[in-house]
Amino acid sequence: MQPRSNTGDGKPPKKYYSARKKYCAFCKDKITLIDYKNHKNLENFISETGRIFPARVSGTCAYHQKQLSKAIKRARQMALIRFTEEKKRIT
Amino acid sequence: MTSRYEIGFIVTPEVNEEEVKKIIESITATIKKANGVIENLDEWGRKKMAFPIKKNLEGYYVFIQTEVDGAIIATLERRLKQMEKVLRFITLRLDDKLKKSNKLTKKWAKIDKIRKKTMASSSEEKESEDFLENEEETDATEK
Repeated sequence: MQPRSNTGDGKPPKKYYSARKKYCAFCKDKITLIDYKNHKNLENFISETGRIFPARVSGTCAYHQKQLSKAIKRARQMALIRFTEEKKRIT
Repeated sequence: MTSRYEIGFIVTPEVNEEEVKKIIESITATIKKANGVIENLDEWGRKKMAFPIKKNLEGYYVFIQTEVDGAIIATLERRLKQMEKVLRFITLRLDDKLKKSNKLTKKWAKIDKIRKKTMASSSEEKESEDFLENEEETDATEK
């Protein structure tokens, strides 16, 4: 297949952006044991509605994602992190 | 067989601090009776919870890390369930996790050592090169 290029130079088409490589935040700080008690750190890995970000979004490695999901679930059990977004009263 | 455990529980905010201490003492006493060791006792105090439990917005958080026989943990769980003043509790075994994390820290330390060595050797070469270049430059200025 020929590359789609409008320039006609025979060069490959321009790349419009270069995605920055994602790093595992826990590997970077060399954290080997994720504690469910420091909920402030865990809140960086949940969305506004309280869902856990997938590894492809947050960039965490498989080893840490496993621990992270378990830690978040334990924190939820102990009411440190919310399960869902806060209820909005409809008047 | 003793192993390391972590116990955490939330007490209702209606309770006085003395009563909370009574609950903690009752737990620690049972652990000490079974020749257990209390490694750490974390009292967070009153804290706002992420969501209300039994219509309570606040809770009194306590975390205990111990090294005891597994059978005692089962009895403690039973007792915590019966306490009406305890809203929630959690018990974890830390042994396997700590083993894994220690392994990883050792592995990473090894990798770091090798990396540092290679970095040091490469930086030395660079420094020597820089030194030579500087010498040449100085010669040129003198002329």
